[in-house]
Amino acid sequence: MVNAMSAGGRLHGRVARVGIAIVALTALVAMRPVRAYEVATVTNGGSIEGVVTLSGSAPATTPIKVTKNQDYCGQAIPDPVYTVDGSGGLANVIVFLKDITKGKAAPTEPLALVNSKCMFSPRAQGAMVSEQVKISSEDTVLHNTHPQNADTNATIFNVALPFKGFSVTKPLPSMPMMIKVKCDAHEWMHAWIMELDHPYYATTGADGHFTIKDVPPGTYTLAVWHEAAGANTAPVTVAAGQTTKSKITLAAK
Amino acid sequence: MFYRVAQSILLLVGALLAGSAVAANTGDVKTGKLVYERYCLSCHGAQGNGQGEAAEYMSIKPRDYRQGTYKWRSTPSGSLPLDSDLEHTLLNGLYGTYMPTWRALDERSRRDVIAYIKTFSPRFGTEKPQDPIIIPPDPGYSVASVARGDAVYKKYNCAQCHGAGGQGDGPSAHELKDDWGNGLVPYDLTKGHVKCGDKSTDIYRVFMSGLAGTPMPTFADSLSPVDAWDLVHFIQSLSPLYAKNMASGETGGAR
Repeated sequence: MVNAMSAGGRLHGRVARVGIAIVALTALVAMRPVRAYEVATVTNGGSIEGVVTLSGSAPATTPIKVTKNQDYCGQAIPDPVYTVDGSGGLANVIVFLKDITKGKAAPTEPLALVNSKCMFSPRAQGAMVSEQVKISSEDTVLHNTHPQNADTNATIFNVALPFKGFSVTKPLPSMPMMIKVKCDAHEWMHAWIMELDHPYYATTGADGHFTIKDVPPGTYTLAVWHEAAGANTAPVTVAAGQTTKSKITLAAK
Repeated sequence: MFYRVAQSILLLVGALLAGSAVAANTGDVKTGKLVYERYCLSCHGAQGNGQGEAAEYMSIKPRDYRQGTYKWRSTPSGSLPLDSDLEHTLLNGLYGTYMPTWRALDERSRRDVIAYIKTFSPRFGTEKPQDPIIIPPDPGYSVASVARGDAVYKKYNCAQCHGAGGQGDGPSAHELKDDWGNGLVPYDLTKGHVKCGDKSTDIYRVFMSGLAGTPMPTFADSLSPVDAWDLVHFIQSLSPLYAKNMASGETGGAR
């Protein structure tokens, strides 16, 4: 089987193989994010408290027309895209820090995504990579929760929630990405999950307010994202043990 | 000196074995590209995006390989397929679509073309497929099992898409879209053949794996194996083909 004529060639091949392995390993190391997030105890952290407001008046929205299961879901559902309070506070905005590489640990509780009254709740939320998400249904009609990579449309998973009271916990992908969640059975149902490689994120409440806690002192970029009004950023400086106030606006589109 | 020679021989043999093992398990991308260009490109496209020349004439679009999303998988929802899953589709085709069987391709060519198809999605380089779904043995078709399966069909709201009579005309049957935004309809279970295979295990697998890229979700987290087998038998009872098969004592169509 092994003959002398080709032994030299094979040895050469082996050297080449080792060489290729080294090149591949070097490439892998080089491809790793330069600054992966590092968990550390935050003893002197500060907080960022702020509000996201919509400049100008919110565009008029028409109620979502329910096209199936009207006996259960009703005939129409208010469109939640622009949920704005009396002073312009915009709800369902994901607020997060950019360029933070070290700080508090990931949340221990899984995030929640509830199918309720033929809508997803919450509409938008942040998550840390690989975090667990508990998906549940309070409805008697069948739902399916179908998260997709918002850039490529690739299915992350697609799980059936066939009856009321059912819940299932699933892991999110290990790479940061924007996830669009849909229910194929009720095409108007959408939710958004922004996966980040760190746990410094919050979602604005009904009054547009948010709080990000345990931030190591330093200067960061505070970023906001809304499904319709788009994105904006503002610099923010956090001092040890202090609360920094922040106000960001988004323009209605 | 003896040890060095012995060591070299061992290393050589090891490298040879490793080389042949790799060759036996995974195909050759370069050769696979030639196979692909000859047989697959006209539908699936040079870029593997499912937009080959013939695609525009097809109502059910050829698979876009770039997301690593495959309908026929032995693996759970969200997982990449195994190579053997892709080979299954090559061997069997997809009933009701333009994807024919490629039994004419020899085993070597099948492995090579699978290796090439995988290069269209970066996921194959960064993720590993999850363990296959375990399918317990079929307890056997019976009238009692069909009756129980009818109740499972109702309890799990299958009618939401597939309709009360299984004809693919449920309240959510319209406006369904795949991951690429193409419209599609739920399967009419009363027609006969099933797209992903007619064997009872093929039907069981679809409940548990879901059909990636389509609205069909996984029921693996909610449906017990006992209920799933009853549901398989109920689905089989809807098909005229199966009623005939069952009467003659066969448990599944061989395809």
